[in-house]
Amino acid sequence: MATTTAAVTLSSDLLSDAMSVTASTTCMKAGTSADGLDQLEYAVVEIATGDEYDLVCTTPTAAKASKLFVKNHSIDETYYVAITQNAQAIGRLYGGDWMFIPADFHDAAADIAITSNGGTNKIEYALFHEGTVLTTT
Amino acid sequence: MATTCTISLSSDIASGFGGINESMTLTQAGTVTNIDSTTGFQRRKLSATGAVDLVTMASENIEPKDSVASKIYIRNIGDGRGNIDKTVGVTIGVNAEPIGKLYGGDWMVMPLTCIVADDVTANPATDNTVVLEFVMFYEEA
Repeated sequence: MATTTAAVTLSSDLLSDAMSVTASTTCMKAGTSADGLDQLEYAVVEIATGDEYDLVCTTPTAAKASKLFVKNHSIDETYYVAITQNAQAIGRLYGGDWMFIPADFHDAAADIAITSNGGTNKIEYALFHEGTVLTTT
Repeated sequence: MATTCTISLSSDIASGFGGINESMTLTQAGTVTNIDSTTGFQRRKLSATGAVDLVTMASENIEPKDSVASKIYIRNIGDGRGNIDKTVGVTIGVNAEPIGKLYGGDWMVMPLTCIVADDVTANPATDNTVVLEFVMFYEEA
């Protein structure tokens, strides 16, 4: 079984009692505790200001347990990318920000799309999944 | 007053994948000023299918600023009594758009718009009790 582990540490002193949260999970295929995600799409792309693009190049199988990591490597804190799914705005990743989400891709319209703002943003992404619809040549 | 978040991803799917280790300091949009508001760490127990608001933007005591650098952390901790079922999950959504399903033990960190309509929703797959832990960091409007 392929093993993919995702761990997070979140610390904040915004409150008078400082918060520290740690968590770790092994990324499994949908509906099973015995078989891990076994496919990976990993890339770095530069996206110029302007148009909206689909971030993930392939078409992952819908309604599975895919996990998506995205980081904006821009060093200018004013640069950001807007993340949308199915025309629904999710949020913005400013320079240095990252996100890690379960990505459902519930239908053909549910691609993760990205729009660059401020300048050219360098984006790293990793999609851990359990199958895609490949494009025939 | 800093808030930091670090991720470590390891995988043996591809032999050449060396893992990902990244850290971010949560800042206000377009600046290096630390983010300044939070919902605080919360826990929500769900025992029925059907989408409910995890975060209702219009109901926050301090109104979040729209379309900036807000983030949310959510984790499915199982039934809250130490039992974590990896086979069932809770679908997390934004404004009724399903983002993905957090199976037992899974966590996520996601940016948010905090626009009033863009509530964060949770929809369990079964009627079995499941507990979500979450905290949102945002800018005050």
